[in-house]
Amino acid sequence: MKETTVLYKYFDEKTISWFKDKNEYVVLENTAAAILKKINSGIPVNEIAKTLSKELEIPIEKSVDFILELEKKFFTEKQSENIEMANDFRNIKRPKNFEFIKYYKINNIIFKISFLSDKELSFVHPKFAHLVMEEVTEFQNEFEVFINHNYIFLYVNNTFIGSWSPENLHYFQGKFSMELIQKIHQKEEKEWMGVFHASAVSDGKKAILFLGDSGNGKSTSLAILQANGFTCLADDFVPVDVKKQKVYSFPAAISIKKSSLETLLPMYPELESSAEYHFKRLHKIVRYLKPNNDDFFANLPCNDLIFIKYQKDATLVCNRISKIDAFQQLVPDSWLSPITENAQIFLDWFENLNCYQLVYSNNAEMIETVSKIFKNDL
Amino acid sequence: MKNQKNTKNEEITRKDAIKIIGNYSKYAALTALGTYFILNPQKAQAASLGDPGTGF
Repeated sequence: MKETTVLYKYFDEKTISWFKDKNEYVVLENTAAAILKKINSGIPVNEIAKTLSKELEIPIEKSVDFILELEKKFFTEKQSENIEMANDFRNIKRPKNFEFIKYYKINNIIFKISFLSDKELSFVHPKFAHLVMEEVTEFQNEFEVFINHNYIFLYVNNTFIGSWSPENLHYFQGKFSMELIQKIHQKEEKEWMGVFHASAVSDGKKAILFLGDSGNGKSTSLAILQANGFTCLADDFVPVDVKKQKVYSFPAAISIKKSSLETLLPMYPELESSAEYHFKRLHKIVRYLKPNNDDFFANLPCNDLIFIKYQKDATLVCNRISKIDAFQQLVPDSWLSPITENAQIFLDWFENLNCYQLVYSNNAEMIETVSKIFKNDL
Repeated sequence: MKNQKNTKNEEITRKDAIKIIGNYSKYAALTALGTYFILNPQKAQAASLGDPGTGF
């Protein structure tokens, strides 16, 4: 059997194994992981079974069954591949005229982004409207966005990047953001360790990531902290690089749900008159709040993850949580580089993180707790 | 008259019971060893669903 690339990481008395062929992370008991390691290095099943039987005092056939089951599950079972219909629209004619042409300034880099109609504009522009430049003489990057045959297309500097069906619109938006950070930070996709669905706040020296399900209050907490001396590094799309595992700035606005307006209006009176966007299918009404970050080149180390939850009338509770729990919540919601070296760096980075769960209802108490975590003072 | 069930034939000695439980617990240990969670990261970078817009 050909050896499969697998990485192993031990923490919290479990082993996390990463399988390259599927870019899959598996949380295993240490003994099971050790067996997988032996299988993968070519040690015969009988030999592994003998050791296991001795260890657990069970009949040899039970051990053999167990090992064969593991082997089947992780090394011989083919992944049911989700084969997408090839939509090769590379030869499609790009429009000559775009109804909307916008120029966005991110630090000293100007992006010219052309949108075929107001529909394409509505998928991108609201989050970046605060970066618009009116008078522009030159630009460094050109993006084109248009819908054709019910697919949305993205071209960057005359290169076809991809096309997405309506149900994959969030992947179009993700790719758009990825292209943007590659241009801002001069890093190719292989130089990113991952992109986290989180909010990143900084005290100027380091970053903390807020994680949690949609509606738990990640963005609201970020907005509250931004009004209290902290800086917004990124909201919703948080890139971390491979080389130094730093959290990089992403210039999009913070999306504020209608339910958070009451809390935030005293801090941000401008939200009163900002445009409201209705996402009917998701029963979501949002406004966009400009991030206070004025250096979109910023990148900072991150040692702490906080699973945050705003809960009405709750007394503040902040506990450390197990790394395994945090890992299980983090991975399915993140894009993680499928490159072996990058996956190893991700596992090493994660091993050294502090993971907390924070439930609060009082803003001042939340700010105080987050400040303490920044100062390693909790 | 009390409806008493005769369980005499099903009684086992303490020693036997421990032996049976011991075997079960060994297999339970094996079952526990085979417990795992599979976690798949997103296949591509994604924005929050509907942030902004939902299909077209």
